[in-house]
Amino acid sequence: MGIPIRVMVNGQLESLQVEPDESLLAMLRERLDLTGAKEGCNEGECGACVVLLDGKAVNACLVLAAEADGREVTTIEGLGRAGALHPLQRAFLAHQAVQCGFCTPGMVMTAAALLRENPDPSEAEIRTALSGNLCRCTGYRQILDAVLTAAKEMRAAGERSPR
Amino acid sequence: MTPARWVGQDVARVDGLEKVTGAARYLADVKLPRMLYAHVVRSPHAHARVHAVDVSAALRVPGVRAAVCGRDFPFHVGIYLMDQTVFAIDRARFVGDPVAAVAAESPEAAREAAERVRVEYEPLPALFDVRKAIQPDAPLVHPDLGRYKVVPWITPQAGTNICNHLKVRKGDYDAAIRTAARVFENTFVVPQVQHVPMEVHGSAACMDLSGKLQVLSSAQSPFTVRHLLCACFGLSHGDVRVTVPHVGGGFGGKAGINLEPIVTALAMRVPGRWVRLVLSRAEEFYAAVVRQGLVATLTTGVDDRGKVIAQKMHYLWDCGAYGGYGVNVVRAAGYTCGGAYEFPNVWGDSIGVYTNRPVGSAYRGFGMQEIHWALEQQMDMVAREIGMDPIEFRLKNCLGPGKRTVTGQLLDEHAGRVDLCIEKVAKAFREPLAERPGKLRGRGLACAVKAPAMPNDAASSVVLKFCEDGVLEVLVSGIDYGQGLRTVAAQFAAEALSLPVDQVRVRNLPDTDLSPYDWQTVASRQTWATGNAIFKAAEHCKAQLFGMASEVLGVPAERLALDNGQVVDTAGPGRVPIQRLVMGYQFPDGHVIGGPVAAAAHHVPEGLLFLDPATSQSSKPVAKWTFGAQGIEITVDPDTGQIQVDRVVACYDVGRVVNPGLILGQTYGGVVQGLGTGLMEELKIDGGSGKAQNATLVDYKIPTALDIPAALEASFIETPQKDGPMGARGIGEHTMIPTPAALANALYAACGVRIQEMPLTAEKVREALKKKRPKG
Amino acid sequence: MRRILEYQKARSIDEALALWREAPSARYLAGGTDLLPRARAGGASPGRLVDIKGIPELAAIEELPSGDIAIGAAVSVAAVAAHPAVRRRFPALALCASALGSYPLRHRATVAGNICNASPCADTAAALLCLDAYVRCASPSGTRRISIHEWFLGPGQTSLAPGELAVAVELPAAAAGGRAELGRISRRQGVDIATVAVLLVAVPGADRRHRVAMLSVAPTPRRVPEAEDLLDRMGASAAAQAAQAAMSAAQPIDDVRGSAAYRREMVGVLLQRAARALGAD
Repeated sequence: MGIPIRVMVNGQLESLQVEPDESLLAMLRERLDLTGAKEGCNEGECGACVVLLDGKAVNACLVLAAEADGREVTTIEGLGRAGALHPLQRAFLAHQAVQCGFCTPGMVMTAAALLRENPDPSEAEIRTALSGNLCRCTGYRQILDAVLTAAKEMRAAGERSPR
Repeated sequence: MTPARWVGQDVARVDGLEKVTGAARYLADVKLPRMLYAHVVRSPHAHARVHAVDVSAALRVPGVRAAVCGRDFPFHVGIYLMDQTVFAIDRARFVGDPVAAVAAESPEAAREAAERVRVEYEPLPALFDVRKAIQPDAPLVHPDLGRYKVVPWITPQAGTNICNHLKVRKGDYDAAIRTAARVFENTFVVPQVQHVPMEVHGSAACMDLSGKLQVLSSAQSPFTVRHLLCACFGLSHGDVRVTVPHVGGGFGGKAGINLEPIVTALAMRVPGRWVRLVLSRAEEFYAAVVRQGLVATLTTGVDDRGKVIAQKMHYLWDCGAYGGYGVNVVRAAGYTCGGAYEFPNVWGDSIGVYTNRPVGSAYRGFGMQEIHWALEQQMDMVAREIGMDPIEFRLKNCLGPGKRTVTGQLLDEHAGRVDLCIEKVAKAFREPLAERPGKLRGRGLACAVKAPAMPNDAASSVVLKFCEDGVLEVLVSGIDYGQGLRTVAAQFAAEALSLPVDQVRVRNLPDTDLSPYDWQTVASRQTWATGNAIFKAAEHCKAQLFGMASEVLGVPAERLALDNGQVVDTAGPGRVPIQRLVMGYQFPDGHVIGGPVAAAAHHVPEGLLFLDPATSQSSKPVAKWTFGAQGIEITVDPDTGQIQVDRVVACYDVGRVVNPGLILGQTYGGVVQGLGTGLMEELKIDGGSGKAQNATLVDYKIPTALDIPAALEASFIETPQKDGPMGARGIGEHTMIPTPAALANALYAACGVRIQEMPLTAEKVREALKKKRPKG
Repeated sequence: MRRILEYQKARSIDEALALWREAPSARYLAGGTDLLPRARAGGASPGRLVDIKGIPELAAIEELPSGDIAIGAAVSVAAVAAHPAVRRRFPALALCASALGSYPLRHRATVAGNICNASPCADTAAALLCLDAYVRCASPSGTRRISIHEWFLGPGQTSLAPGELAVAVELPAAAAGGRAELGRISRRQGVDIATVAVLLVAVPGADRRHRVAMLSVAPTPRRVPEAEDLLDRMGASAAAQAAQAAMSAAQPIDDVRGSAAYRREMVGVLLQRAARALGAD
């Protein structure tokens, strides 16, 4: 009795039946076991649920699963893995920008989206883009340094963030 | 300082990869088979008798498998004072107090069932102001206070709303204050705030068909959870297993026991089924624990040379509706009431008071940020009144080797040097303050000190064991919820056994069945306690390795040492890789000596002595002190009252920096959390209904990446802690302790207004400026 | 019981209107950034959501032959803030759109949704009021244009008829080319609803040169003609008087974000600063 949707998640086509009030976040976490995106507030205030929707950073808690029909979603699980980390993931590790790690997937995805649009952001632009991702542990400094480092590395390598 | 291979290095987090790839599983990420969803029915009244709870309609909702209430589990729970029951039974004491709970096959069914639980309440007069709650005619929040079980070193006053009262009596305050050249008295106020961990509280429980209870919880203390659950439900430790997945921030709020009794109660009704409760963010704000509020009055008497000769502290702590854990905050604040200073004559009263507000509990700093808000402003105010530079005044009065704390404890040369911290910070602000047109600028400094507030027998233990290929496994039950404990443990283990650090695995398996006892991960104690246990266990491993190697190499064990994965003869050429020893050693003729190398060890604080019940005097009440100082430079917009934090400089005497990147992370994170409480955080409770008015991230604001200062600098002094692992102390809480007071002192320097109530909102600053200069 | 019972995606305006008509308590869904949190909190439970983001006419920002710019109802706030023609010709809207919410939120929130939600704090409303915008709306009886000045009726209330769909927000060419200064006070530097905000726009060559709007100090976002008159007549030297006029026109309340007194005072401070910054002349 659900709504049938076809959505590309991390490069893989998923055919699902979703409920009308089911959020994209719940769909990713419960149906696809992609638990990297977190529920922190369920009202778009904390950024822990940020994923890319057609390449743009969005709060997955405020997108209905049904709205993702025909779209492409990228989560932290699609960004990189051990042995093939994204430069942002490498930089977060190198700068100790990870403490409890709960905000990390959302933070990295927001940064990834930013760097797609703006490969050479100023620190002020990074702060603005990340200001919707709350972190209670790090005080943000090492996160900002990580994004600056990753941006530099990506420009040097001419890389583009994966779709 | 002992030279080191791994300690002091920027070793990468051992759990970084799983966190940065999204592989790390937190409570709500763990898929539990056929899990039931729990929903709690909460009192809408701040204070009310509970006459009847009827769950029959809830049980009829399709998909509901259990519905329970207070009378089904009339058991008390609490870590120091057992003043709470699993659910409110005949009295609800705050808006949000759990009255019943349901478990159902879907979250929607659980929510609907919860809505159908019928509760008959009779509202009672409620208390929201600690100053009213302490009045003799105030209604009692806990009429049965005299009958609750309590540890011997906490003193609730039956027949009142006082859940604990610690008295500090050092020297002769009355005599000394009469001889003071000048006396100053000021009152300071701190509201309740919430921890706001990014991961809300969540717990799950399953009682299997053999009667064994399994609990999975986002918690800081699996063993304490087990212990308190058993004490509550009358279970044997042997039949309860508590495990902890990755934890998304704790900050004290996940210490002790929280949701576990509720999920346990439900699980008992549905044997074989997992029951999981995850709070909503709104519930996290008002129904999970908060930090106590404080009204502090300080009286300072100085002589004519600027020495404080008499100090009085009166702390009224708003503990909220229950004080099970918070009573120890009252105590710790009491015995630390002198802060970083030597006060020869002290009269201190730290009083915990019940109100019908959310429940106060452990919060990073454990009362220290609150009392330093008062003390560090008082020191500034007194200095300025007597015409002394606030830094000189601090240096003149600060603690150090040879000085005594308010409990009479004599500090030795290992205690840490707050004077050096102050001087380091002051030096960073030597250039004149640059002006900004139309704005006011100022600098302020505040000191910090804290000791772990833990029972005298709080233990950490460790098991070390080797894999066949020589990888060292470290089992701890300390929780790494971001502070980096597992990484620090790996560094200590690698150091102690001279292994490459990537040959060490600190298992993420806090499991009361499998990993060794640890009291709690609180109090900035883990680096110190677990570190010490690691070194002790390593010695046992070494003895086993050397015992075998001695036979293998044919040299006395005293000549042997470990070097980068080998046992070496320090006086000869013999060496044997530890891989050849870790499972025992087989000689060419076939006989075997030794066996799998493993060791367990613990660390318990040594020689801690109870405080005298009447005076709180004790020569060794706590295991260690960590001192520090912060200086903050701000810009104030006089027309709007907004404060911009330009620069924070922090310096702490940590004994030994174990990992520079991690300690910077603790410093930045603590400072920013301190800026949050100092500038913008307050849990607002309606004074009529007791309902939280801002239980949402929309209206309870914490700092974002745009709110951090442009410059944040940290430095560390290393006066070795004599009983610390390679001299290390603790630092996790200290970095947020002085921040709000330093802000307030900077505000005064910038524009001459003194605000004694946290937080320093723009509106408060503007009001204070207008009062000061009526023309605006 | 689920709060949202049905989700339907409309492919055309007519289909959206029909889907609304046939379902009880249907709501149009654009970004959902207000609608979804409210539905979850137990308020405004829509029986059916009609997703309008698949309607081609609503998806674009168009520069019309008249020189007006029409912003489709499904266009994100981020797209509006970044659009070159909006930034060049109507910088006030780019400013206000950039101040709304957070970076991820701006990829979903829409200008139309912002004004349909009609909070007294609606960020884009300040710009739309200063620019004399129109809202083009569709209903079974046809299309009409509602002036933004007739749009806001009260907190959360607009002059949209039941089932009427906001299709585009139109920025008139007559208000183009101005400069804008936004003063915004919130509880922290990062993402926050405005405790109080004042927008000053100066449009050279227009009938009314100065436009002042304020947020969070009245039941609806509000223009301040008294202040505008003073600035038009006397330029920057009237900044203090204009500020007084704005303060008198404000009707702030005490709430969890701030007191009425502080809000009123800040209206004056922000307007004076905006006037100085703009060098009103």
